Amino acid sequence: MSLLEVDKVSLHFGGVLALSEVCFQVEKGEIFALIGPNGAGKTSMLNCISGLYAPSSGSIRFRGEELLGLPPHKRAAKGIARAFQNIELFKHMTVLENLMLGRHVRMRSGLLAGGLYWGKAAREEAEHREAVEEIIDFLEIQAIRHKPVGTLSYGLQKRVEVGRALALSPELLLLDEPMAGMNSEEKEDMARFIIDIHEERDVTIILIEHDMGVVMELSHHIAVLDFGRCIGFGTPDEIQSNPRVIEAYLGQAESEEVGSSA
Amino acid sequence: MRSPFVSECGEFCTSYRADMALYKIPRIRYRVYGVLFLFLMLPWFVSEYATSLATLCAIASIGAIGLNILTGFTGQISIGVGAFLGVGGYTSAVLTTTWGLSFWIALPLAGLVTALVGALFGIPSLRLKGLYLAMATLAAQVIILYTINHWDGLTGGTGGMILARPTLGGFSFDSEMSYYYLTLTILVGAFIFTSNLFRTRTGRAFIAVRDRDLAAEVMGINLFRYKVLAFAISSFFVGLAGALMGHYTMVISPEHFDIGVSIEYLAMILIGGLGSVVGSIFGAVFITLLPVVLRELIDIVTVYLPQATEHFGALRQMIFGAIVIVFLIYEPEGLAKMWRNFKDSCKLWPFSY
Ligand SMILES: Nc1ncnc2c1ncn2[C@@H]1O[C@H](COP(=O)(O)OP(=O)(O)O)[C@@H](O)[C@H]1O
Ligand SMILES: [Mg+2]
Repeated sequence: MSLLEVDKVSLHFGGVLALSEVCFQVEKGEIFALIGPNGAGKTSMLNCISGLYAPSSGSIRFRGEELLGLPPHKRAAKGIARAFQNIELFKHMTVLENLMLGRHVRMRSGLLAGGLYWGKAAREEAEHREAVEEIIDFLEIQAIRHKPVGTLSYGLQKRVEVGRALALSPELLLLDEPMAGMNSEEKEDMARFIIDIHEERDVTIILIEHDMGVVMELSHHIAVLDFGRCIGFGTPDEIQSNPRVIEAYLGQAESEEVGSSA
Repeated sequence: MRSPFVSECGEFCTSYRADMALYKIPRIRYRVYGVLFLFLMLPWFVSEYATSLATLCAIASIGAIGLNILTGFTGQISIGVGAFLGVGGYTSAVLTTTWGLSFWIALPLAGLVTALVGALFGIPSLRLKGLYLAMATLAAQVIILYTINHWDGLTGGTGGMILARPTLGGFSFDSEMSYYYLTLTILVGAFIFTSNLFRTRTGRAFIAVRDRDLAAEVMGINLFRYKVLAFAISSFFVGLAGALMGHYTMVISPEHFDIGVSIEYLAMILIGGLGSVVGSIFGAVFITLLPVVLRELIDIVTVYLPQATEHFGALRQMIFGAIVIVFLIYEPEGLAKMWRNFKDSCKLWPFSY
């Protein structure tokens, strides 16, 4: 059984078909890449997995259990974490508070215990603070831990957002273009973090990324979306030699060339 | 020994526990104790009238902290505070006067009943946002006030109800000073509880709901649960404030809880600072004392303009509105922010850049 099974998922927005019978499987412990041109439906696919969008038909199973119908917070509790394409951090909170928030589903103390801050709640805060500090060390963001997130550079915010998702101790991590808009040095750092997350923390990752070099190097399996349809699924080698994928990508490249020469 | 006038250039903590303390720097901790000491000594040095004003400020502060939890920290606007104060006041009145329960049991029950009513009216917040939620809470205000006005058997209708000052053993809280200490104690409790709340799991979830609904949900926060919880805990404090007010003035009637009161409380947290516990107190003091100060000014002006007194009501409303607008435009983060700026400039003085 695969960790995540996406089976004939279709998604409509009014008359627009954003996803059409998409199928793929993500194995436990792999880095899985979701690629395709802008508007292909990659982000929509992740939204279906995290529960922000409800597909009109199909099935998404996580560890064999059906996810569709569950609200997003229950899917998070099952161990699915997410970093967004457009940064969705809590801007007024500090880096530390954002990461502590990431541990929400791993913590227990409620309103009364928190307000009274008695033994159990205080101990829990300290324990989880330790887990969060580990992530802070891992992502090399020690110097900014008390900074409000809104004051940080774009690259750092992206990194903090990955950290917040990681704080959930996820089994499945969804990364939506974590390197978009970064310079090459930041990109390299992020690629290294993704490899380390995968190897040291034993996290399965679904990665959306446009840089083909990075995708081919990092991922074990790739699914290619085009206009909401899955036009290819396999290992990097298989994808590179898949005629439909080549056609879609080359076709695009050709039309771009035609466009620029005209 | 280091100079007491030099402040820290950084914070150094040797354990996460120490880094997580409410007041990390000893100097600040002492300042907090100092301020508390000043409040404790206050009634010994000022007139009874001033003590009574301080009591009103303390009660308003408890209510404002409650509203700020909901609106400032969780981002759920409510125009129903007036009515929720009423729920607290009337619950305590019915429990003590009609049922003969002790004040010490009635007060927490007043908080709990208001929390329940608040949670109930908070349920629409899952679907409604911003202006639409404001309308829903306005409906709560109208429905609750209508109920109070028309359930004569329970509430005495428009005539209102009489309450007694609490007693403890043989001691009665009849004097201004004793009641001041009672409200101050509860205010300190509310302050500490709320400050703790927002450095732990539930408080962070509240703030996350305010800042980004969707991201909060994807991080595992049950929006419905936390919105309703915010309505409940917020209304709990508002209910306490309502009950304390009732037992202080010893008479309550529907007009004490009309929509004007709701607006005043919103003004408190706007002027004090949304999402700031200490700002709630600043705002409550400001709005409570504003009419008092205006009254004094008018008395002075009356010597030259005899008709000023007649227009006191209108003048008060106008100045009130003007101040709210000025704050919204020039310091949306309120008195709490101004206080922070002031402290920062003290820290850097005399090199203020
Ligand atoms: N909330 C929405 N409402 C309407 N259309 C949407 C919405 N989200 C996505 N779409 C549409 O679905 C298609 C796929 O978008 P998206 O998943 O963001 O693509 P990608 O992430 O691959 O660039 C686009 O045509 C987009 O306009
Ligand atoms: Mg996208």
